[in-house]
Amino acid sequence: MLSAIIGISTIIVFSVFSEAQLEPKVFVTHSGQVIQTSGDVLDPLYTASTVEFDPGKYLRDFNYGRISELNGQTIREFTIIAEDDKIQEISPGVFYNVWTFNGTVPGPTIRATEGDLVRIHFINNGSKSHTMHFHGIHPAEMDGVFEAVGPGGGQFTYEFEAGPVGVHPYHCHVMPLEEHISHGLYGVYIVDPKEERPPADEMVMVLNGFDTDFDTENNFYAANSIPFYYQHHPIQIKTNELIRIYVVNMVEFDPINNLHLHGNLYNYYPTGTSTVPSTYTDMITLSQTERGIMEFKYDYPGKYLFHAHKVEFSEKGWVGIFLVNDNPDQKSQTGIDYEN
Amino acid sequence: MKIKKNYSKVKTIASGIIPFGFLVIMILYLIGPSSDLLEFGVSLPEITIEKIEFIDSEIHVTVRNTGPIPVKIAMADVNDRIQSAAIEPDKSLERFETALVRIPFSWNEAEPYTIGITLDDGVRFDKFIEAATPAIKSDYKLAGFFAIIGTYVGIIPVMIGLLWLPFIKRIGKNKYNFFLALTIGLLVFLGIDAMLEGFEVSKENFSTNFNGELLIITITLLSFLGLYYSAEKLTSRTSLTASSKPLAIGLMIAIGIGLHNLGEGLAIGAAIGLGQVALSTFLIVGFALHNTTEGIAIASPLAKTKSPISKIIILGLIAGSPAILGTWIGGFFYSPYTAIVFLSIGAGAIFQVALVILKWLYQSEQKLVQASIVSGIGVGMLIMYLTSILV
Repeated sequence: MLSAIIGISTIIVFSVFSEAQLEPKVFVTHSGQVIQTSGDVLDPLYTASTVEFDPGKYLRDFNYGRISELNGQTIREFTIIAEDDKIQEISPGVFYNVWTFNGTVPGPTIRATEGDLVRIHFINNGSKSHTMHFHGIHPAEMDGVFEAVGPGGGQFTYEFEAGPVGVHPYHCHVMPLEEHISHGLYGVYIVDPKEERPPADEMVMVLNGFDTDFDTENNFYAANSIPFYYQHHPIQIKTNELIRIYVVNMVEFDPINNLHLHGNLYNYYPTGTSTVPSTYTDMITLSQTERGIMEFKYDYPGKYLFHAHKVEFSEKGWVGIFLVNDNPDQKSQTGIDYEN
Repeated sequence: MKIKKNYSKVKTIASGIIPFGFLVIMILYLIGPSSDLLEFGVSLPEITIEKIEFIDSEIHVTVRNTGPIPVKIAMADVNDRIQSAAIEPDKSLERFETALVRIPFSWNEAEPYTIGITLDDGVRFDKFIEAATPAIKSDYKLAGFFAIIGTYVGIIPVMIGLLWLPFIKRIGKNKYNFFLALTIGLLVFLGIDAMLEGFEVSKENFSTNFNGELLIITITLLSFLGLYYSAEKLTSRTSLTASSKPLAIGLMIAIGIGLHNLGEGLAIGAAIGLGQVALSTFLIVGFALHNTTEGIAIASPLAKTKSPISKIIILGLIAGSPAILGTWIGGFFYSPYTAIVFLSIGAGAIFQVALVILKWLYQSEQKLVQASIVSGIGVGMLIMYLTSILV
């Protein structure tokens, strides 16, 4: 009996080593080590992402709506469909039930000019009640709080005049609110001033996270949902070209988030409501739904990191790279004319 | 006549097999056609991190699928910070399958680390290591080092304990009974101690799916019953003389204590091997003091007979040397499963020996409620408790 038990336990102990494959794979760690393995690589940092949502497309994707005119006022109509049954690969190999506006987290970036009439045809195809609550100025009944839109095809039309100028979030406002937001029901709403901002390479960054094990702590952080995405797909920009980023912090659970830019400083316009920047810095800290516009130009080409300087977040995915390419059209300027 | 007899035999066999047949049919039906009927509730994936080793600039994590469904490993982290890693043989784990996760990481010695493994559904499992210690290299030098520790902890203390033999020989019947009862106390304590140790190993390393506690109780009982049965057979078959019976009991005690010391050796070896504690001289002194009492346990039943020194020394070696074997197994091939199996076998063996001595006392005295016996058991347990504080 004794030898039988010892025998069985030995089998249990050595079963660890019993199955080995013979084709070695290689990967590089973030400290530059080259590792060879006969097994699989678990590498959300450097492998090409296979996830469904494309942050590269989302970055510069602005939706101006179906445009018509009535009595001299521009009307912008949008159709937004809410769903809550999608299982999305939010990091290589990790699947999570996202709740979406028009199928993505974040939802589409809605863009209008101050004074336009924004009309949103909202359809709730989810299994729970959802709404759309816009930050901004609008009548109480358009606030998307007390008029829950029922599941299974419930509809509501939100209509309001775009304002004030700036960058704002929109999100579902059904209780439990934290659950609806952290599952992904949010997006960005930009109101342009009537007198256009100077031309720039514009992009949207929603700073968000996912609590995949429901312990009220985020397991992943990112700019635009997918951890480490812009690190292995650097954002291509040009020297001496004005870059304008609309940044919205939608991270739940953690009281702060931030954005630090390498090799440069940016002009920061809190909430984008003023045309005069409040500060010239390389580090801004944002609380929940706090947002603003960041403007900068790079003098020198090369790779520049941008990330949360709350380093925990960057080590869980909120980190990216600007790949600055030489701009043959514009010669390098000596003075920093965008500093004001 | 013969045919009739055969027929009834067939009937007996058939009546024994038929219920089994129905059981098989029911199980097949439940798994097959009616499996949809019973699908309610959610099967949650579960993995257990069984072992963490700190190799040169890599952390090696052994994970086992201890849940009810197959799982896919998606990610590894160190201190809740995502790290790239490799998993061998592959990231899909069937039930009870294990895999080795290799995390390249320049860890710092003596610092605490939490290692996390995330599954494809985003659920994270983690394990805390108090202080990172380099995984030991298995070589002759280390084997020799373990042998020395095993000798200090196992053989020498037991031999010292045996030196009380002449003293026990000289004392009167009542005092002698006291020492026999003391032995029972020591053994009962050791048996409980081994089981508790097993529970702790199970709690720290086993998933609840494995029912570690029940495994310990089952093995302990099996070991107890198995040894009890074989010992009874042995002692009844051979015509034991009055002088050889104590020696047989001494041998049983030595084997039981040997198994216990194997468990102790496992604990020490594993502690060094896994770097969970810095093994101090103090700890070794504690184990040594504790184990001296085991020598007394072997000596007591031998006291009233003339046993040759050589046999007594052999008994001491049987009891003490498994400690060396234990440190080797624990240090080089540690697994919570082996630890629990050995600890449980040891516990069963010890309880069996305690019962044999108790029976022996009863046969000679016909009465167990005596001051010498009751106080002996009590003092035995107290001594063990006090010396165990040192460990």
